[in-house]
Amino acid sequence: MKILIVDDFSTMRRIIKNLLRDLGFTNTAEADDGTSALPMLENGQFDFVITDWNMPGMTGIDLLKAIRADDRLKSLPILMVTAEAKRDQIIAAAQAGVNGYVVKPFTAAALQEKIEKIFERIDAQ
Amino acid sequence: MDEIQKNNDHARYAESLRASSPELVQCLQSGDMDGAIAILQQVNLGREQTLYQEVGRLTRALHNALKDFHLEIGLDGRLDVSNELSEMVDARSRLNYVIEMTEEAANTTMDNVDSASPRVQRLIERCNQVQEIWAKERAGADDEEYNAVSRLLDMISSESKHVQQHLQNILLAQGFQDLSGQVIRRVINLVRDVEESLVRLVKLASEVEQVAGIESVTLTEVNRKETSVSEEGPYVKGVSRGDVVNDQDDVDELLSSLGF
Repeated sequence: MKILIVDDFSTMRRIIKNLLRDLGFTNTAEADDGTSALPMLENGQFDFVITDWNMPGMTGIDLLKAIRADDRLKSLPILMVTAEAKRDQIIAAAQAGVNGYVVKPFTAAALQEKIEKIFERIDAQ
Repeated sequence: MDEIQKNNDHARYAESLRASSPELVQCLQSGDMDGAIAILQQVNLGREQTLYQEVGRLTRALHNALKDFHLEIGLDGRLDVSNELSEMVDARSRLNYVIEMTEEAANTTMDNVDSASPRVQRLIERCNQVQEIWAKERAGADDEEYNAVSRLLDMISSESKHVQQHLQNILLAQGFQDLSGQVIRRVINLVRDVEESLVRLVKLASEVEQVAGIESVTLTEVNRKETSVSEEGPYVKGVSRGDVVNDQDDVDELLSSLGF
């Protein structure tokens, strides 16, 4: 299981990376926005993406749309972990095809639950 | 003082109208329309000058107010962001410094968590191993010393797990750096926008001064005067952000209503 963590704040990337390690996911890579994430995804055989929304360059919602529009990447599960908490935004992310949405600040349990739920759903398909 | 000035201007206009009125009446009565128009134009000209003076005064007040920001503008009218004497630029760099400092502090904290976590993990694992060995070693039924050691091992195991949980909480709490940093970045952008608007105002003010024929200080002169650095000083939840969810439960509820 290879996971890409996309966030412009290195602090948050490190937090998520550590939490994932505690959950047993040790194969992770990091990108600081959508622009640097996309080429990594295209070349890197990733199984899962955790992305922030508000980032300079390419935002998380644009990254999500770009992934869904790419034939090779479109089925990649995406979890959004963001401080953006407006209903309109959550609905927009859902419509763009996000697999899960976690608002910051979050708990380790919430992150774990969302990740597990996403994989359960994928396994059930 | 502005009020007095305004009243004076009005009085001057009234006075000049009054002074011209006998002449004006005479022209009108005698049917000399050209003469009447000339008199009215003369009075209005005076009034326009008063208006220009008023605009000029406002412009000067604006200039003085803007001087307090110590905005640095190049000769081409563009903002010179490289000049560190500008207080606006200085405010931005201070805010960036806060982001850097909090990032550094968060990383130091996480370095310590990263160093402590595997130690606690080793402690738990080693304790489990000893617990297993100890269980097999049990010889007598109610040996007090044996039970004391068993209790100690149990305590080490459970306390270590608590410490592990606390370490994870400390790690998560470092998310403050991301959240506060996002708010600070917004403020930095706001300061930049205000700065650019002020620069446009300064340019506009100087143009008005020229049109109104008021003696003007050049932009660079205005801005190079008294440039000095003085001392200065997050997104607050629930402050005019519209329709915002309160917590993760709200998010889940909203998503499930969308068929998730």
